[in-house]
Amino acid sequence: MVEAVKRALGKISVEHIKLELLGTAYNSSSTFLGRLDPRMLLIWYLFFAITPWFVYNRTILLGMFIFMVVTTVLSKVSPYIVFILCLGLVSQIGWMFLLSLFFGGGAESLLPMLTLTLKLSVISLASITVFSSLDPERLSDGLSALGVPDAFAFSLSYGYRILPTLLEEFHQILLSFRLRGQRPAKHGFLYLRTAAYYLRILVLVFYPLMLNTAKRSRTTVEALETRGYTYAVNNPKVKKLRLSYLAMQRRDWLFVAFSAVYISLLFPLGASFPNLLY
Amino acid sequence: MDKPLLELSNVSFTYPGAEQPVLQEVSFTLQQGDFVAVIGSNGSGKSTLCKCFNGLIPHYYTGDFEGELKLLGESAEGKRVSELSRHIGYVYQDFENQLVRPTVLDDVCFTPLNYGLADYRERGQRALELTGLSGLSREFIWQLSGGQKHLLALAGALAMDPDILVIDEPVAQLDPQHARQIYEILRRLNEHHGKTIVVIEHHAEFIAEYCRSVVLMDGGRLRWQKPVREALTSVEELLALGIYPPDVTRAAWLLQPDRQAAGNYPLSCEEGRAWFGRRTAAVNAADPANAWSFAAASSDGAPAVPTGAAARAATEAAVNLSAAEPIVRMEQIRLSYRTIHKTLQPVLSGVNLELYAGERVALIGNNGAGKSSLMKLIAGITVPTGGTVQVKDITVNGLPPERLSDIVSYVFQNPEDMFIDDSVRGEIAYYLKARKLADMDARVEEMLQAFRLQELAERDARLLSGGQQRRVSLAIGAAVRPAVMLLDEPTANLDISTKQEMTRVLEALRGHVETVVIATHDMALVAEWASRIIVMSEGRIIADGDKEAIFSDGQLLRRAGLAETQLMEMSRLLNLPQICSSLKEFTAAAGGRKGELVHGGSR
Repeated sequence: MVEAVKRALGKISVEHIKLELLGTAYNSSSTFLGRLDPRMLLIWYLFFAITPWFVYNRTILLGMFIFMVVTTVLSKVSPYIVFILCLGLVSQIGWMFLLSLFFGGGAESLLPMLTLTLKLSVISLASITVFSSLDPERLSDGLSALGVPDAFAFSLSYGYRILPTLLEEFHQILLSFRLRGQRPAKHGFLYLRTAAYYLRILVLVFYPLMLNTAKRSRTTVEALETRGYTYAVNNPKVKKLRLSYLAMQRRDWLFVAFSAVYISLLFPLGASFPNLLY
Repeated sequence: MDKPLLELSNVSFTYPGAEQPVLQEVSFTLQQGDFVAVIGSNGSGKSTLCKCFNGLIPHYYTGDFEGELKLLGESAEGKRVSELSRHIGYVYQDFENQLVRPTVLDDVCFTPLNYGLADYRERGQRALELTGLSGLSREFIWQLSGGQKHLLALAGALAMDPDILVIDEPVAQLDPQHARQIYEILRRLNEHHGKTIVVIEHHAEFIAEYCRSVVLMDGGRLRWQKPVREALTSVEELLALGIYPPDVTRAAWLLQPDRQAAGNYPLSCEEGRAWFGRRTAAVNAADPANAWSFAAASSDGAPAVPTGAAARAATEAAVNLSAAEPIVRMEQIRLSYRTIHKTLQPVLSGVNLELYAGERVALIGNNGAGKSSLMKLIAGITVPTGGTVQVKDITVNGLPPERLSDIVSYVFQNPEDMFIDDSVRGEIAYYLKARKLADMDARVEEMLQAFRLQELAERDARLLSGGQQRRVSLAIGAAVRPAVMLLDEPTANLDISTKQEMTRVLEALRGHVETVVIATHDMALVAEWASRIIVMSEGRIIADGDKEAIFSDGQLLRRAGLAETQLMEMSRLLNLPQICSSLKEFTAAAGGRKGELVHGGSR
């Protein structure tokens, strides 16, 4: 067990996480969903994030779930993300099931939980679909077009721009701690000592990181000034120009139409066969 | 031409709470089409001056501002930074922080888009073409090299088609060939596109070659503004302020320090050839018996002959080394990185290397040749894709870096990445404290003294100047008393006088460390310090030898993307019997006195 964890941890490096994160964030324009209009996608997402809460018909939920699985496959999500999602869902069900067994429940208590899981899965898959199909730029522009304040939209996209830099610096500082620190000589019971050592460093790294970032952001703020950022914020014309590339195209309409037809068929189907699943 | 583009009259600026103003009654005019270098020692107000141009001072930095700024004949009073910035592009020294968008094209279009210019895409494309980045327009910022990022920052400024470009230390982080590339672009912008350019620059050789006039700042005052020749030949005055004119100019000054000669001092190697040629002829004519003939040496055909004693010493050293056990041994090392496109990018391919005690190794090559990667392998920070690394008979591959940290210490290129405590003393003590060493306090004191940090001991290292930070990072590394110390670009981002000091600081490492390895493209440092030079190019070692062997092969350096120092080039042009690495050697050799020449050669 300990060996397996060690091997798994050995494969996770800061470099690896960085690539995976950025890959998920930016490698989306190649997929079908990635080419859709961000405003449309955001509204589409809003629908699938909210309606499942109010639907108790398992057939409808199942229909939505299938739809979401298809869109998730279409958006070519990184397997890591899907894995983490499954882990979350399974553990959620798992501990609730354990709890129900403890209070004298049986296998039959699984079924109502399955309904909740279906809802959560639909919502989670919708989030994954949309947010991995929208790179931060399009997300930021989409939000901005839907009326979210510009400063927020810009910081979102800037946050992603600076993320690799921060990760790199985090890595370097972590290395400094490790190169000059002393790992416990013995791993201790269940590797607890070693784990405590690493956790402590992980926390400590944030202090120098924050100080360095504060120093760096001075130039950034100044540069934004010289690059006309404040001018843009105070000029609605600039926003219009920046967002002028957003346009609903044929494929956007097709996607909306398909979703609408699918959902509108799903509801009567669910009403006539409410117990299709169980 | 008649109307000045920008005019400062009697500008003074004081930060709130400061006693001394950072600018004192500065008057300055910038003519259309000029190419100005602003020089001065650290803290003399160079950046402050440039930040007045676009109104960052006084709008962004608050303080007491007096005087007047006129841009294009209009008073700038009441105008915002963003209005003035339409005409002035500014490239920062830490240019990476001014890139705020994720992709190259997005970033270069950012400024024109912010000003609501409908043709922002065309402007961006044009700016990318001017800087030679067109092929990279879809790349992400973090995938670019340092040089490319700098070009992008420049392109971002150019996209607005500004009248004035201000560039703070354009070449501080670049290898010599990329540095030249930047200046060639600036020259083209100046000559063909009519841009007026202001650079803050420490490298006198670039100023001599590319700039038209020079502004000297001293203690917040503008001392003078002169044409470049007049400015750089004021050797004595500049040296007094810690500014170093080009090496040829200094050599000429050392040989002929009278004021009348100053106007004729050479500024470039070409001029130097003529100047030293004339001088030798004069010396020969005056005293033929004592003269040393360049012609004779060139007919020998082999300029770099070590003198007998030196050759013997070298052989002896070689014998000693081959008998000893290597401290570092690398066999068939391969290394590749995964990229965002899930492909493997080879960094090192088939490297074999042995390092011995007592060596001062310089690892040279251009940006991206694999120098840092090689050192990280030795420190156990990265794991090789293939091959083995051994340090002191410990196989490094895959060991956690903590295990090696007693034997190898790695000093990062960016000192800030090493600062993990809140005082200089704490930084140095961190390693010793973690190991609960008994002689901790004594060792810390020793290091503080060796690197002249006693007065700074309680300060936060992050707030020190570049040179001081570098000394702290070296002290941190040396406190470990490692067998091998690896330094990544120790002179990057330092001004010239601090660079000169580095050679002395490196001497302080002796006695604490067995082997020192420096990755650098600073050839002056290599020439003065190294005992063994390893040349890398595209992930391979293409040459390995002592100074004479490496420097006498001019082709080799060019192939590795490096440039000779002026003294090396001059030694070759004048057919001196050896390639000189210090001014002392050079003036002795080129000055035409035989006695000193022999002395210099056996050193």
